[in-house]
Amino acid sequence: MPSAIKDESLKRKRTKITEKANKRAKAERSDSSGSDSDEDPQADILLLENEILESKKNYNNITVLLDIARNQDEDEPSLFATVSLCRVFLRLLASGNLSRRAGQSEKDIVVVQWLKGRLGDYKHILLHALRRESSSSTALTLAMRILKAETQSAGDKSEYNFPKVFLKDIVEVLIRYDVEDVRQEFCEKFLGEYADIRYYTFKALKDILSENSSSPRQGDLFENAFDLLAFFEDVPESTEDMGEFYVDAPKKKSHPVTSFNQQKKQAQEAWLAVLSLDPNRDQRKRVLDIMTKSIAPWFTKPELLMDFLTDSYNAGGATSLLALSGVFYLIQERNLDYPSFYRKLYSLLDADILHSKHRSRFLRLLDTFLASTHLPAVLVASFIKRISRLCLNAPPAAIVAVVPWIYNLFKKHPLCTFMIHRVPRSPEEKATVESEGMEDPFIAEEEDPMETHAIDSCLWEVVQLQSHYHPNVATIAKIISEQFTKQAYNLEDFLDHSYSSLLDAELSKQVKKPPVVEFMIPKRIFLPQDSASGGEESLLTKLWDFE
Amino acid sequence: MAGSQLKRLKASLREQGVIGPQQSKKQKRRNVQDGNATNKTRQQKAASLQKIKEEFNPFDLKHNVRGPKFQVTTNRPPTGNAARGIDGRPSEAKALSEERRRQAFLVELNRNKVGGILDRRFGENDPTMDPQEKMLQRFVHEKRSHKKNSLFDLEDEPSEGLTHMGKSLFDSSEMMDDFNEKDLSAGSDEGSDDEGRPLKRAHPMNPEDQEEDQPERKKSRQEVMSELIAKSKFYKAQRQQAKEEDDDLREELDQELSELRGLLFNNSKGAKDDKVDGITSEPALSGKDKMERDYDLRLRQLAQDRRGQAAERTKTDEEKAQENVQKLKELEERRLRRMRGEKMDDSEEESQDEQDQPEENIAGGKFIFEEAGDNDTFGLGSGIRTRPTATELGFDDEDDFIVEDNLVFSGSELDIESEASEDDSDDDMDKDEDENEEDDDDEFTRGLLNEDEAKDPKFTNSNSKDILEGTSYSCPQTLQEFVELTKDMAIEEVPSVIQKIRILHHPKLASSNKTKLANFSGVLPQYIHRSSLSQKPVFSALEGIIRHTHSLAKTFPVEIANAFRSLIDDMGRSRPLSLNLGDLVALTAIGTIFPASDNYHQVLTPAMIVVARYLGHKIPQNIADFCRGAYLSTLALQWQCLAKRYIPELINFSLLTLVSLSPIPIDAKALGYFPVHELGSEIRISDAAATKLRKLTPLDCVKDRIPSEEVSQVQIATIAITVQILDTAAELLSSKISFIETFQPASKVLAQLGRKTCKTKLPAALNERLGKLQTKLETMLQVARLSRRPLELHHHRPLAIKQSFPKFEETYDPNRHYDPDRERAELAKLKAEHKKERKGAMRDLRKDARFMAREKLRMKKEKDAAYEKKYKRLVAEIQGEEGKEANAYEREKQMRKRAAKR
Repeated sequence: MPSAIKDESLKRKRTKITEKANKRAKAERSDSSGSDSDEDPQADILLLENEILESKKNYNNITVLLDIARNQDEDEPSLFATVSLCRVFLRLLASGNLSRRAGQSEKDIVVVQWLKGRLGDYKHILLHALRRESSSSTALTLAMRILKAETQSAGDKSEYNFPKVFLKDIVEVLIRYDVEDVRQEFCEKFLGEYADIRYYTFKALKDILSENSSSPRQGDLFENAFDLLAFFEDVPESTEDMGEFYVDAPKKKSHPVTSFNQQKKQAQEAWLAVLSLDPNRDQRKRVLDIMTKSIAPWFTKPELLMDFLTDSYNAGGATSLLALSGVFYLIQERNLDYPSFYRKLYSLLDADILHSKHRSRFLRLLDTFLASTHLPAVLVASFIKRISRLCLNAPPAAIVAVVPWIYNLFKKHPLCTFMIHRVPRSPEEKATVESEGMEDPFIAEEEDPMETHAIDSCLWEVVQLQSHYHPNVATIAKIISEQFTKQAYNLEDFLDHSYSSLLDAELSKQVKKPPVVEFMIPKRIFLPQDSASGGEESLLTKLWDFE
Repeated sequence: MAGSQLKRLKASLREQGVIGPQQSKKQKRRNVQDGNATNKTRQQKAASLQKIKEEFNPFDLKHNVRGPKFQVTTNRPPTGNAARGIDGRPSEAKALSEERRRQAFLVELNRNKVGGILDRRFGENDPTMDPQEKMLQRFVHEKRSHKKNSLFDLEDEPSEGLTHMGKSLFDSSEMMDDFNEKDLSAGSDEGSDDEGRPLKRAHPMNPEDQEEDQPERKKSRQEVMSELIAKSKFYKAQRQQAKEEDDDLREELDQELSELRGLLFNNSKGAKDDKVDGITSEPALSGKDKMERDYDLRLRQLAQDRRGQAAERTKTDEEKAQENVQKLKELEERRLRRMRGEKMDDSEEESQDEQDQPEENIAGGKFIFEEAGDNDTFGLGSGIRTRPTATELGFDDEDDFIVEDNLVFSGSELDIESEASEDDSDDDMDKDEDENEEDDDDEFTRGLLNEDEAKDPKFTNSNSKDILEGTSYSCPQTLQEFVELTKDMAIEEVPSVIQKIRILHHPKLASSNKTKLANFSGVLPQYIHRSSLSQKPVFSALEGIIRHTHSLAKTFPVEIANAFRSLIDDMGRSRPLSLNLGDLVALTAIGTIFPASDNYHQVLTPAMIVVARYLGHKIPQNIADFCRGAYLSTLALQWQCLAKRYIPELINFSLLTLVSLSPIPIDAKALGYFPVHELGSEIRISDAAATKLRKLTPLDCVKDRIPSEEVSQVQIATIAITVQILDTAAELLSSKISFIETFQPASKVLAQLGRKTCKTKLPAALNERLGKLQTKLETMLQVARLSRRPLELHHHRPLAIKQSFPKFEETYDPNRHYDPDRERAELAKLKAEHKKERKGAMRDLRKDARFMAREKLRMKKEKDAAYEKKYKRLVAEIQGEEGKEANAYEREKQMRKRAAKR
């Protein structure tokens, strides 16, 4: 032995540890003194462990322990064996018994080889344990500890050597099986904290997903991988934000693990791999929901998202609604040229848009898209007309937001104000309008906003909303017919209303003034009027039968 | 004052007669003759010359060098010194300031600046006082000073009797003045004595004390005290006397009162007069009590006199009817104004009301929602999330809308009834009010009578004793109590129980009844809600309860409104999309009790939101959901019968109902922009051609499971009712400008339902209705198309461009600053003031310093001069002495010489 002193110190440490273990075992024993059946296997395991550590001759005990651990019918002993095996391997790894060194005898090499094989077995057991709910949390901790120890003991210190394979195995278990809790734990404890784990996890994810692109259980795979990746709500912005290293950082400065850009690249590839799994509609929606905030910032080349986004945008319905912000992000940041963008946007204005829960989000985006004063008035008029037509069937909260928006557009595109004020130019025209009425020139079915002739139409819809049942909505609708003295309305004041917020606003007002009470007390409310009294039937009694 | 100094001198000399034209010899002689006079004139001349000299000191007055200014810049004529062209009087000012300084600084300068403590405790340095006396003296002083401080100290104070505005009523003011004068003069005498002393050390001292040369303090205190006491006694006696005199006078007046009263009542009531005389002719017999009682009686009679005279004649039936019509017309007018959301005009309101309206009511009840308008531009509330509002963010220009807000939301003025109830709060039983209350009751019992007519005569107020026989209900204050009270009886009896409670606890019977009844009326809405939740609600009874609630609402609008609002709140919070039958009935009650046509109403607007929320948000799962929606649609439509407001949710829900229930699927996307939900096909009508058409009942809305044989019946009924709702809605909205866009989808959906494949699965009666409605809609649409005109919304008067001509000041003053920026102007003013003050202060300080230096120099000079004088005197003295000695020596020498010679 070249380093006798070291060995000695190690031995001392080991004995100390054994003592500790003994103590713990004793404590446990005293705890569970009532149950003799428990006592035996645990004591046995401890004994075996101690023997292994005492001498090389007892290495065969490892196999015994492995057997116990592998026998997962009995929960507790196998778990106990797993833990004690972890201790064993950690110590072995720390003492360098698992690495080949120069000048070792052939016998030693054989022992090392054999130990390595057992370590492989042990890892296998751990991965199994990871799948089971009862032991998964412990298994994760043990596996990560082994991972750390393995790196630290890996022979040459000069070379950075991360056990990618083992991590990949762990990640694979995490995303292949339905182990939500342990996945969450992994995310919180390791993925979020350590830069190197993150880097290699991304890498592993990409590998796993690209290997198994044709596996049958893709739905779950997507869900799990998405969960893992969506853990990052905020993307780290610089090298400082990346966090610590789980194992020692590589000595070389230029190693990819330390590079922020490399990590982003790995994340980008992982995401791409996830997105290539062909998610279904709901999954797509979930992805799109976090697109601009959590996904796009990872991408060094956001144009890679282009395919996914344009596909989603073209899908129609709520999906395209959600994809809108992503597409806009690309247009804004990456100069994406989306042909007939406005046409598509126009087609999004369908019956459901003002009822959907993404209404405010959509209106905000719509406001951004139509903010330019350089847009053709014809196009803007089409949007105005279409959305005001939708307002005829919309909830008050939507109308409240739309009307000020229309006002702002009118302010920006005065050409469109013909829609609210159109005086017949010639006497003949006047005569025809008088005699035949005005046919609405607006073509509702036209898909191209440039061709709808909306600019020749009038906004009768908004005028009708001036007699909306909700007095405040009616008041807001009236701003269209009053003088346009205000420069612009702040749209944010009008978004984010709902029935309940309107109701709350009403009910929060105190009744100070006695409310007006109907003067006449009706003779009948539910029952039909007596024929003798001759009163007029109310609608309710006419239509309903209260007998 | 033109001309040079010399000219002016000459002129004034001539004026004074110092110089004049050459005198003739005769005159001179005459002047010489009375030599005495000459002497006098010389003296006079000297005096006038002196005066002129003084006057003509060119530096006494400050003039503008270039003569007076022309008055071109100001229209205010100069006054005082400025009129005479005098800008200031430097020498006078200088003298004044000098004098002031002398007073202020010289004292300081001359003061012996040695510190020390002066013991001014009583008798501390007085050997003649023994400790007992000292203590007594100190106690007295303490007491005195304390008494002065406490304004309201009643102890020891000589009783002052009545006061008015802090002054005694019986004090004759002259006396008080006398005393003060005397006191003051004494004080001023004293003041002149020790004026030189600082105020601190000035003691009020009497000259006698000083003369007597005794220990001054002790004597003076005693004197002062005794003097005070004597004076107060004197005043008290005087007051007493004055009071007695007054009493005598009053007694006299009382004696004469009977005659006086006779005079007062002479014109109107002769007969009474005699009686009054009879009573008052024996004042000696009747004691004071009786007098007072009589007086009170008179007073009351006097007060009621006017009322007694102003008897109104009984109105004929026609007049009454006309009045009723008038009243109804007025009410309708008001309703219309409320519907349009117009502001009620106060003055008009007042003229309309026959009663006097308490001022506070007008002021207090006008705009309730004024406060709410502050942050909240359109009264929409704060939205879903809490965000900083526009005002907080600094967009403050939304103010324009607050005004409009008020316009919209100011509901209306008080109802006549509600006013009456307001008046009730003060407890005096005013006659007007009583009448009003009776009106109220009559009105309701009249209604009841119509309803129950002969069948139940005991409803009338006159027979109320009959119903009350044997029963005595307490007035339930909570829902619990009321439920407890009514748990044993059938629901049909509850209206009569309420009636009894209302009679037993009529506000006129006891003062506490009003609050009790108010609480009770707050219970009723909850009771309506609760009792309609039962398995089989009895609608006739519910109707009675609602009508009672309505009647009570006229007296207690706030309580009932609050109860309904809390119900609405509960609906909105706990079950917005699964309203139960209780909610439906409560909403119906709200619609009848409160005027549904109002633009804004504290109860109806939230109720409408609840209804719309159900219609808009509910995704119907079963047929009961559709029924509930239909019921709410009916309600909403009924509420809008008069105001004809547009309810998008109603159209949406009706179309959704038709589309979802239609026997064959309809592609709604192509028909219009109303939202459609994908529902299971089991909701669709399967085959109901043979089903009988019937009306829906409210119970259909809440049945969880409808027996399968009834399902198609309910479905058909729902479709039928929806068709009727659409029909009514189309009629209501036919005048609306966007009728085409609103009902085109409906027409299309109906067309789809009218297809052959559908028709075969629906009963013939329904098909007929569907067809009828469709043709009706088609015609209406056609009419609407013809009557459609392009919008011309902006025939506004063009806005004037804001002008910024320089403003012409009518009364321009160059001395003033006309800065349009107020803040800047104020700042400039402040700066100028500061500068001026600073300069003044610096000048003052410099002058002070100069004065001090001058004074010091003067004092030094004086000192030096004194020294010099003394020195010289001493030297002279010594020299004199020396000279004397030298002379003596010289003389001696001479003498000796002489002697030697001799």
